[in-house]
Amino acid sequence: MNLIVSNPKGAAMSGSSQSDTVLDVNDLRIEFHGKSETVVAVPTLSFSVKAGESYGLVGESGCGKSTTAMAIMGYLGNTGVIAGGSIRFEGKELVGASARELRAIRGRQIAMVYQDPMSALNPVKTIGSQLAEVPLLHLGVSRTEAMEMAAAMLADVRLPDASDMLKRYPHQLSGGQQQRVVIAMALLARPSLLLLDEPTTGLDVTVEAAVIDLIGELRSRYSTSLLFISHNLGLIAETCDRVGIMYSGEMVEEGPTGDLFRKPRHPYTQGLIDCIPDITHDKRSRSLAAIPGHIPLPQERPVGCFFAPRCTGFTAGLCDRPDLELEDIGGDHVVRCIRWRDMKRSQPAQLAQIGKAQVQTEAVAVSDLTKLYKLGGDRTLKANESVSFNAAKAEIVALVGESGCGKSTLARIVTGLDRATSGEIRIAGENVAEIQAKDRPRHLLQSIQMIFQNPDSTLNPSHSAAFSIRRSIKKFGIRKGKAAIEERVRELLEMVRLSPTIANRKPNQLSGGQKQRIAIARAFAADPALIVADEPVSALDVSVQAAIVTLLLDIQRERQSTMLFISHDLALVRHVADKVVVMYLGKVMEQGTVEEVFGGGTHPYTEALISAIRSPNPDEKRRVRVHLTGDTPSPINVPAGCRFATRCHRKVGAACDSVPPPLRKMSDTHEIACHIDAAELRTTPSPFGASAQGCA
Amino acid sequence: MAALDIPDAVQVARIKRQARSNWMRIFYSRTALIGLFLVTFWVAAALLAPVLPLPSPTDSDVMAMGNPYPSAAHWLGTDILGRDILARLIFGARTVLSVAPLSVAVAMIVGITMGMLAGYYGGWIDTVISRFSDIILAFPVLVIYVILIANIGPSVTNIVIATTIASAPGIGRITRGLVLGLKEQEYIAAARLRAENTLYIMLVELLPNCRSMLIVDACLRIGYTIITIGILGFLGLGLPPPNPDWGGMVKESVTVLNVWPLMSLIPSAALVSLVLGFNLLADGMREAWKP
Repeated sequence: MNLIVSNPKGAAMSGSSQSDTVLDVNDLRIEFHGKSETVVAVPTLSFSVKAGESYGLVGESGCGKSTTAMAIMGYLGNTGVIAGGSIRFEGKELVGASARELRAIRGRQIAMVYQDPMSALNPVKTIGSQLAEVPLLHLGVSRTEAMEMAAAMLADVRLPDASDMLKRYPHQLSGGQQQRVVIAMALLARPSLLLLDEPTTGLDVTVEAAVIDLIGELRSRYSTSLLFISHNLGLIAETCDRVGIMYSGEMVEEGPTGDLFRKPRHPYTQGLIDCIPDITHDKRSRSLAAIPGHIPLPQERPVGCFFAPRCTGFTAGLCDRPDLELEDIGGDHVVRCIRWRDMKRSQPAQLAQIGKAQVQTEAVAVSDLTKLYKLGGDRTLKANESVSFNAAKAEIVALVGESGCGKSTLARIVTGLDRATSGEIRIAGENVAEIQAKDRPRHLLQSIQMIFQNPDSTLNPSHSAAFSIRRSIKKFGIRKGKAAIEERVRELLEMVRLSPTIANRKPNQLSGGQKQRIAIARAFAADPALIVADEPVSALDVSVQAAIVTLLLDIQRERQSTMLFISHDLALVRHVADKVVVMYLGKVMEQGTVEEVFGGGTHPYTEALISAIRSPNPDEKRRVRVHLTGDTPSPINVPAGCRFATRCHRKVGAACDSVPPPLRKMSDTHEIACHIDAAELRTTPSPFGASAQGCA
Repeated sequence: MAALDIPDAVQVARIKRQARSNWMRIFYSRTALIGLFLVTFWVAAALLAPVLPLPSPTDSDVMAMGNPYPSAAHWLGTDILGRDILARLIFGARTVLSVAPLSVAVAMIVGITMGMLAGYYGGWIDTVISRFSDIILAFPVLVIYVILIANIGPSVTNIVIATTIASAPGIGRITRGLVLGLKEQEYIAAARLRAENTLYIMLVELLPNCRSMLIVDACLRIGYTIITIGILGFLGLGLPPPNPDWGGMVKESVTVLNVWPLMSLIPSAALVSLVLGFNLLADGMREAWKP
C-alpha cells in the first residue's frame, strides 16, 4: 500500500534557523499607465522571504498578488511601472537594475512556475530541448551534460521513463505531467527562490495533491525558498511557513501559518476562513458566511482601510483615517486593522433549520444511462456508461468527479442539450433521455432548468441583465401582461438579493457574482421542478462563492425544487448535498447519502478524493493522504475491468484489470462498485476520525 | 445574509465608465476620427451638391477647353470636353456614395444569412455553403465583375448584383466563424432551454454579438467597392455617360495624361481620400471596440 503521511513543511524547520533574507520587498508601488488613466495596482507592499522559508501570498482575484510576482520577475510589460520602493534579492536591488543584471538573476536564481503549464511550454519544441536550454544558458554546460541533467530532473519530479519523455512534445503530456515539466524546468538552474503562481489551479484534485507533495519534497532536497501564490487557503496552510493576506494591493495581515489561521485578526482574513466550506461540516452543522460586496477597483479604493466598505465592524472616524499602518501584535504577526483588539473570532452564523427531505417521492430516476460519442473509425468516447441513480423531491444530489468523468455530459442530457445513446431518465413519469430540448414539449422544458458554470458566458453581452429572465417568464407563461412580468422580474431579483436597478444593466457592468445571481434568477423564473447546476460557483472567488451557495440553498429549500449539483469540489459537495454520486470515467463508483460517502467505508477513489482536500484549520488532525499514481486514462480507451484499476491503491488482483467490479450493497442507500468485498470496505477508516461523525 | 450590493459612489463610477457607448468610444481614437472626417467631408459634399454654387457637371465651357488649368471660374480646372472637374467630382461622389453602400448592404444581408446558417446548423448545410463560397472566393474578384458587367450590362442594379456575388462569401465566412464560437456560449443553451426557436436565437441572441466585427467589415468593404467601381469606370464598364463617374473621369483624360496630368490625378486623389477614409474609420472602430 502506498500510503504516506506527507509533511511538506519538513524542510522549513531546519532552514529558517539561518534567518538571512532571500527576498525583501519594501514599500513596493506598482502602477499601470494606460492611455487615459493610471491604475495603481499595488499602492504599497512590504514583505520578505527568508532562506529556506515557504511564504504564502493569499488573496482573491484582483488583489495584486500575481502583479507582485510579475514585478519581482521584471515582467510588468510595456504599461506596468514600479513607481516606488525596492525589491531586494539576496541584497541586490532589482528595481532599476540593468537588463543584463536582471537576466543573470531571472531564471537562474529566481525561477517561476505559472498557472497554465500549456502556455509556459513551447508547443513546437521537445521537452528535452526546452529543459536543456536552462543549464545550457545559465550553467554553461555542454549539450550532452544538459540533456543528462534534464533527464535526472525529470526523474526527480516523478515523471516515468525520463529518456522517452525528453523526446516528447508538450501536447503529448497530460496537464499534471506538463506542470511537473514546468517545475523541473524551474528547478534545473538550482534557483534560491521559486515563485509559484497558482501552480495547481487548473489541475484535478488528485493530481493537485501529488504536485503539492512533490513541491514539498523537492523543496527539502534543494533547500529553495518558495513564494507560493494562491487563493486556496487550504493549500497555503499546508505548504507555507508564513502567510501574507493581500487585499486590494495591500498586505492586511501577515504571520506564521499556524498562528494566523488559528487567530486571524483582520476581519478579511476571518471572512476568508469562514466562507470556505470544510470537509468536516455539512449544511446542517455550519452555514457559510459570505463577505458582502466585492473588492474595489484600484481607482475606487476608499480612504483609510480598503476593506471598510465590506467590513461589519466599520467605525467611522477610526477605520477611514488615512494613516492606517500594519500593526505588530506580537509573535511575528502583523495586521492592518485599527480595531484588531475588538475583533472577536466570529461565531458560526445562525443555522437555519434544515430538515432532511421528508417525503420521499421520487422526482428523477436515471437508469442505465449511456452516452457514446462516435469519433470516426471504430473509436468511441464513452462519456457515460450505465449510470443509474435517483433523486427524491426537494433533494440535492451531487455528482462528483474529476474532469472527464462525464458529469457535465450527464447534466446536458438531463436538460436536453444533448441526447443519450440509451437508457432512461424518468421525470414525472416521462422518459426524457433521448428527447432533445427542441423536441421537448414546453411543460417539460419548463420543469427542468439549468444554472451554468461560467458567469462570463451565461448572460448575453448584448442584452440587459433582466432580458433573459423576462423572456423566460413570457415564454412559459408564468405571468401574463407587461406589468405582471415586470413585477415578477423584480421579485426574482429580490429573491437573489439584487437591487432592481441592476435589471437594465449590461452584463459587462456586473461582477461575476452578480451575473451568477442573475443566472439563478433566470433558472428559477420558469418555476422548475428540477434544477441542474453545473459547477455553479467554481469560477467565482471564495468569498462570493459562499454567498452564491448559501443563496442557492435558501432558494432550493424554499421552492422545494430537486437539484442536481455538479461539482469537483468535495468540501463544497459535503456542504451542499443530501446524496452524493461519485463518478470516474463515465461510471458511477459509489453513491449514497452524504453521511455514508463522507463517513468512512468508501470506495478507494472516494477515499483518494477526500484525502486530497486541504483545510486551513491548523488544529485539524493531519489526514492520511492517499497518493494516486498516474493520470486519469483517456475516455476513448478505458480500462477493461474496473475503470479505476490503473490508479487504485487498493487493487486486489488481476480481476480488477479484467472484470468489471460487482455492485456492493452497503446499505439501502449506499452502493459501491468495487472488487473489495463489502465487509472489508466497511473497515476503511473515516478520513476525519470520529469527530466528523458527531457533527453530521 | 446581507449580500445586497452596496450602491455607493464606487458602483456609480464603474457604471459611468462602462456605459460609455460603443459609438462614443470611436471619438477617442485618432485613427477613427481622421477616417470619419474624410468620409463626412465627401458625404456632406455629395448631399449638398445641388445647392452648392457649382457649374453644371455636364455642360462644356468651350472657352476653358484651350486652357483647362485651375482658374477662378473652374477651381480644379476642366476636362477635355471643358466640363468643370470640381463639379464632376462632387456629383461623382453622389454616385459612388450611393452605389457602394447599397451594394455592400445587399451583400451583407446575403452573406450574414449564409454564414449564420452554415455556422449554426453545421453538417451538410455548412459543407454546401462553405464549398460554394470557396469556389467564388477562388475567382479573381475583378474577373467576376468584368464577366458579369460585360454580360449583363452596366447599371446600378448590376453593380449591386456583382458586388453581392463577389463579397457575400467573404462576409459569410466571417459570420460563420463568429457564430461557431458564439453558439457554444451558455446563454445560447439557456435560450434553447426556454424553448426559443432557431430564428429568434439567430437574430436576437447571436447577431447582436457579431455586430461590431460586421460593422468594421462593412466599412472596409465599402472602401473596396469604391475602388472596384472606379476600376469598372476606368474599364468603361461603369455607369453610362454622361453621369459623372470618378473612374470614367480618369479614363477620359488618360489620353492627354502627358499634357494635362491634373485631369487624371484629381479624380484619382478623390478616390484615394475616400477609400482611405473608410479604411481608417474601420481600423479605428476595430481598435476602439477591441474587447
